[in-house]
Amino acid sequence: MRAVRWKAVIPLGATLVLVALFWWLFLDLAVERAVEYAGTEIVGARVDLASADVSLGRGAVVLRGLEVTNPDRAMTNLMQADQIVAQVRVLPLLEKKVVIDTMAVRGVRFGTPRRTSGAIARQSPTTGRVGRAVADWANRIRIPPLNLQGLTTVVDVSRINPDSLRTTTQARAIAHQGDSLQGLWRAELARLDPQPQIDSARALIARLRQADVRALGLIGARDLVNSSRASATQLGQAVDRVKAVETRVKTGVAGLRSQVDGLAQARQADYAYARGLVNLPSLDAPDLSPALFGEMAVERLKPMLYWLNLAEQYLPPGLEARRQRGPDRVRASGTTARFPRVRELPAFLLVYAGADAEVGGEGAAAGRYAATITGLTTAPALYGRPTRFAAQRAAAVAGPRTGNMVAILNHVSAPITDSIVAALDGVALPTVGLAAAGATLALGSGAVRVWLARAGDNVEGSMAWSSNNVRWAPSDSAGPSDRRTAEPSIGSAQWVEDLLWRTVSRLTSVEVEVRLAGRVTAPAIGVRSNVGREVAQALRREIGDEVSRQEQRLRAEVDRRVEQQVQDAERRVAEVQMQVEAAVTAKRTELEAVKTELENQIRELTRRLPVRIP
Amino acid sequence: MLVLLKLLQQLVKTLSSEGTPGQIAAGMALGAALGLTPLINLHNLVILAAIMVFNVSFPGAMLGWALAVPVGFALDPLFDVVGRWFLLETPALTPLWTRLYNVPVAPLTNFNNTVVLGSLVSWVVLALPIYFLGRWGVGRYRARLYPRLAQSRVFQAVTASKLYNLYRRFRPD
Repeated sequence: MRAVRWKAVIPLGATLVLVALFWWLFLDLAVERAVEYAGTEIVGARVDLASADVSLGRGAVVLRGLEVTNPDRAMTNLMQADQIVAQVRVLPLLEKKVVIDTMAVRGVRFGTPRRTSGAIARQSPTTGRVGRAVADWANRIRIPPLNLQGLTTVVDVSRINPDSLRTTTQARAIAHQGDSLQGLWRAELARLDPQPQIDSARALIARLRQADVRALGLIGARDLVNSSRASATQLGQAVDRVKAVETRVKTGVAGLRSQVDGLAQARQADYAYARGLVNLPSLDAPDLSPALFGEMAVERLKPMLYWLNLAEQYLPPGLEARRQRGPDRVRASGTTARFPRVRELPAFLLVYAGADAEVGGEGAAAGRYAATITGLTTAPALYGRPTRFAAQRAAAVAGPRTGNMVAILNHVSAPITDSIVAALDGVALPTVGLAAAGATLALGSGAVRVWLARAGDNVEGSMAWSSNNVRWAPSDSAGPSDRRTAEPSIGSAQWVEDLLWRTVSRLTSVEVEVRLAGRVTAPAIGVRSNVGREVAQALRREIGDEVSRQEQRLRAEVDRRVEQQVQDAERRVAEVQMQVEAAVTAKRTELEAVKTELENQIRELTRRLPVRIP
Repeated sequence: MLVLLKLLQQLVKTLSSEGTPGQIAAGMALGAALGLTPLINLHNLVILAAIMVFNVSFPGAMLGWALAVPVGFALDPLFDVVGRWFLLETPALTPLWTRLYNVPVAPLTNFNNTVVLGSLVSWVVLALPIYFLGRWGVGRYRARLYPRLAQSRVFQAVTASKLYNLYRRFRPD
């Protein structure tokens, strides 16, 4: 029996040819599906491609009709490109690596509507995790409501729950801690118990005073001196132990004192808490701006944080093995690991890409734009250079010609550093609804300034919008003043709307600046705007005195509710200081005095001896 | 139901074929790779070539494949654990994977996927036991069960089918 079935070689060859033919016939489709799959996994929303044309011999890939859905708006494309021509290196494909030397993107458009929804049922674990983290962050941001209703009505102070006040909680904690420490230190002092040593030393001092050198003899005197010296040494050790306790007590008491001092800060927080509880507004501009533009700020920052965090996931620094979920298939996906190695090619590298975009029409944003991307790779450590995005307005139809954006993502080594600087003029700005004023603010076309710097886990930056041709419009067809039937009473909803409408509708220019700082996963934000300042000034003019009176009442009520606990805490700390600290100090002083006296008596006895005792 | 009937038909035909028990068992051992590991992978093309070129039972391989498919599905979590251990949790092997990952063609085998690697390693370990078990089983079947089965009408109907005729063309020499 032969081991090899030679007659099967031809069918085998035919099978292999069929496989190759199948692969060649469906290569375009495979590339199309691969681009859609990978794009969807990365972006977190559908990526569609009309067709792909692959010519492996020339290493040319032409993609047509690319549509990338905006993850935040399923019916809008983030970006659409008519044609993408890429020059791909062929040999690295054998290593399952995609290296694109050049890429030209034509017919780029942004924010185009989609015919079908681009939402996906299940995001990839990476994208899903980043999306959820950003959504959680946005949900945690507390935007203070601009609720001015009921200003002149009596503030319902009964809603302030003493247990919810930070001062009360902290004061109780201090008192409890004082009790615990007092017990602890007393027990410690009791364990040391230096009194028997003190009594014994005093008896020895009396013996030394009455000692007759002649009656004792030289040997007896020497023994007495030696035993007295040993007692003095033991007393010294006892003094050290008591001193250690004394140091701990003093440090602990100082800590308690510092916590008592911190109660003033807690009380300020309680004032703010109580103010929020009874809808008493702060009249400081920084407090009003978040109320007016907070939601807009969060909405604008969300995509920025999303892409920043996503870039960290897909462009990680270092050369450690990378893990990702395996491909979707009937069988389990498992985990796929990548093992980058120095001087080898990364799994994906786009050396250079250039894009031309044209925004049509006569609007301020109309014109030609040019963008370049260099060094986009999944393993920046292998490529050794940062990824750079740059875009600028090449020619404008109307409005100022300036407009550029540069983003540098340096993920070559940890800690990663990203920087984004963008300055765009003549950009269509959003329309913002200001429910409290019963108005909408159309920012029109204006300028956007963005800068953002990330170093490791920390991010700092700002986004600023400014416009000199804003338009205010009532939220419904009848404006606040039109709806008025009679002179509204101060503090009523109608009065508030009227006041805000009168204030903001005079403004023709608006500036809004959003600042962010903190951890890149959950930075803190601050909002400033001239609208907030104007509203605050108007409120101060109209109702400043009344708000101040109400605030005084509120503060007095908070003071009344926390005073007892604060006094208890202070008294408890004072007791600890007076009783324990004083007791320890007294004991240490007594020990030191007895020790000194004993040493004096030893010196006196040795002076009376005819010979020197070593 | 139809799939089950076909499976039964194939089972009967294979076991009673003229190939030696060793050839059928070797075919089953090779065919098991197609069922135990995820099918669309480069190594399975090599396995298929081996089944065709080497003088093993082709129906035996198909039977091994058919029997191993549900086992493969059921054991995927185990393969994932095995693959994870080899690929990610054994630092001594990392240089080997790094080298393989950067060698042409090797990454196309998807060896760097835990399920693929785990199932492939498991198959390598199980191939010999499958072979010996298969050989013993076919021998026992032919000696004890086949003579009685050959008399049954069902068996005669099965062997008269077109599928059986097709199989005869590829039966082992």
